[in-house]
Amino acid sequence: MRYIKLPSENFGKFFNSLREWGRVYGPVKKGKVYSFQEVGDPAEMALDYNRTMLPPKKFFVGPRETILRLKNGHWEEETNVEPTVLFGLHSCDIHGLKILDGVYLNEPVDPYYLRRREATLIVGISCMPDEYCFCKSLGTHFAMDGFDLFLHELPDGWLVRIGSVRGHEIAWRHGELFEEVTDEDLANFREFEERRANSFRRELPQGGLADMLDLAYNSPVWKKYAEICLGCGNCNMVCPTCRCYEVCDRWTDAYGAVRERRYDSCFMENHGLVAGGHNFRPTRLDRFRHRYYCKSYFDPSAGYNCVGCGRCDEFCPAKIEHVGVLEEVRGSLQ
Amino acid sequence: MNPYMSHDARILEVKDLTPREKLFTLRFVDPEVGANFSFRPGQFVIVDVRGFGEFPISLCSSPTRKGYLQLCIRKAGRMTKFIHGMKEGDIIGIRGPYGNGFPMERMEGSNLILVAGGLGMAPLRSVLWYAIDTGKYGHVHLFYGTKAYEDILFRDEVIHLLKHGEAMNCSVKLAYEVESPSCIYLERGFSDRVCRGVVTDLFRGEEFNVNNTYALICGPPVMYRFVIRELLDRRLSPGRIYMTLERRMRCGVGKCGHCIVGTSVSIKYICQDGPVFTYWDALSTRGLI
Ligand SMILES: Cc1cc2nc3c(=O)[nH]c(=O)nc-3n(C[C@H](O)[C@H](O)[C@H](O)COP(=O)(O)OP(=O)(O)OC[C@H]3O[C@@H](n4cnc5c(N)ncnc54)[C@H](O)[C@@H]3O)c2cc1C
Ligand code: SF4
Ligand code: SF4
Ligand code: FES
Repeated sequence: MRYIKLPSENFGKFFNSLREWGRVYGPVKKGKVYSFQEVGDPAEMALDYNRTMLPPKKFFVGPRETILRLKNGHWEEETNVEPTVLFGLHSCDIHGLKILDGVYLNEPVDPYYLRRREATLIVGISCMPDEYCFCKSLGTHFAMDGFDLFLHELPDGWLVRIGSVRGHEIAWRHGELFEEVTDEDLANFREFEERRANSFRRELPQGGLADMLDLAYNSPVWKKYAEICLGCGNCNMVCPTCRCYEVCDRWTDAYGAVRERRYDSCFMENHGLVAGGHNFRPTRLDRFRHRYYCKSYFDPSAGYNCVGCGRCDEFCPAKIEHVGVLEEVRGSLQ
Repeated sequence: MNPYMSHDARILEVKDLTPREKLFTLRFVDPEVGANFSFRPGQFVIVDVRGFGEFPISLCSSPTRKGYLQLCIRKAGRMTKFIHGMKEGDIIGIRGPYGNGFPMERMEGSNLILVAGGLGMAPLRSVLWYAIDTGKYGHVHLFYGTKAYEDILFRDEVIHLLKHGEAMNCSVKLAYEVESPSCIYLERGFSDRVCRGVVTDLFRGEEFNVNNTYALICGPPVMYRFVIRELLDRRLSPGRIYMTLERRMRCGVGKCGHCIVGTSVSIKYICQDGPVFTYWDALSTRGLI
């Protein structure tokens, strides 16, 4: 890792330099929630945001997108991508993207995802947890890779970690904006990280979690929550690691059609439906439990399918709390 | 290479197998694609009816018979109804093959018990012909349960094997549920091998050498539990029981998430980890069957 310092007064220039790279998207406050929007001026951004409603996955797999276009009876691949800068990603969201990488960049590589990933510069930013965050217990509160540049707040600027050759090139090209890191900066960085680590209010104890959950398959707690759950699927839409998609063909005129994919949710009744009307997850209980099992699966190479961002809690209309459910299920065993 | 892009395949022949199922014989338009297409029994392809959608279908021909592919497609809904309306010469898209297929090499030299229920005959037909064509297996038993005489898939082949299978080291047993003159006629001719009942009835009186036998099952979801019980009663190891499973599938390549099953300790993608699993997999992964 290389560390450099961006003094506060150069922040605007640095931001503008990123616009040479591509369109810049950053966290913007809209009503009560934040979302990643195109920004032209750093003042439009809310850099102290807690979390956006939709995670950055929307830039790589859209809520609805065309993958193939039918012309004269043959499919053509949709290839347009634009260079993009995602500014201000939190560490948990960077981990979320790494989990998606594990899916989409695994053989066979999803070319749409790959192209967008390659065309996107990721600039991370440090954050303070709110009452929903539990990334620390999952080890996703600090990103060691998966970004090009990562900005850590200092009293008089930013400590920048450079995470890729591309990030290095950008810093190099605008070398006049940066300074060397001093001992004082490092002390401030450490102080910030310590304060942050002590600010987490929610925790997910993971010891033996996966086995406990599996053993508690018939726990009444699943049932209790499945009855409260509205089955709206919000928790899937906002989750940075949920990725189920549905595909359908749509005619655009008498001669042409497109094949589109769009987000799907395992809370929808037809998610487990196959021909002949057989449903492998017919009840709300089956579907509720399935989501928790999917999120709590531990892949030795990629970790959990949950990064502790707290979105599913904040945006659940039934106020169901992810950690609360898991802890209660675990507790029901004793 | 875009993994979602299908290859043109021409329909060489459409044959009615039953009132609900048709057999489509296909050949890739590009000979190079055809030459590079190899598969093992138990694998499936995704059929692309351009502008209407895609759906997964098992390969029901054997890789030993080259130059063409066969798919047995039941009219189940929108897309399969559309393809039932297609004719010889029409072009569809095929991508794949996908999935793991049956471990044909591992089973070489052993006896095979193929247990088919209804449409489950389709993927097992691929195994059946593969085993007969290569001659690398011990005795091949086919236990096949259908609703009625009209529903027997590949009826000519099944009846041919019922009559002459022994010469090919293969024996067939058939169970039907709905009585009809044709069934009674068959039952009279082969009273030891044809009966009215369900597929598990065919196990009555059967014993086999569990150290030298593999069972391969494919059928409707309800069938697995009962067939597996018959096999376990005869002490066949869960590791020697293979079954091919079905889920809703969109991508076929581990991306769309539809076919995920399991819990916090074991998650499987039916499209990539399967569709063939052992009964041991089912014991260790909840929700598989
Ligand atoms: C591995 C595998 C192998 C199969 N092999 C065969 C075979 O050899 N012969 C055969 O006739 N059928 C087979 N099927 C089932 C076949 O895929 C479905 O019958 C078909 O998708 C139904 O599509 P439809 O549009 O006609 O049905 P509809 O009921 O109209 O379907 C509605 C939607 O659900 C989807 N859908 C329904 N059932 C399934 C399903 N099981 N898998 C994926 N999507 C589904 C359809 O694609 C469609 O978009 C197989 C399924 C799988 C998973
Ligand atoms: S399950 Fe909830 S907390 Fe975990 S990553 Fe998804 S939205 Fe965030
Ligand atoms: S957001 Fe809440 S109510 Fe909606 S499906 Fe998820 S858990 Fe249920
Ligand atoms: S079919 Fe898409 S993940 Fe298996």
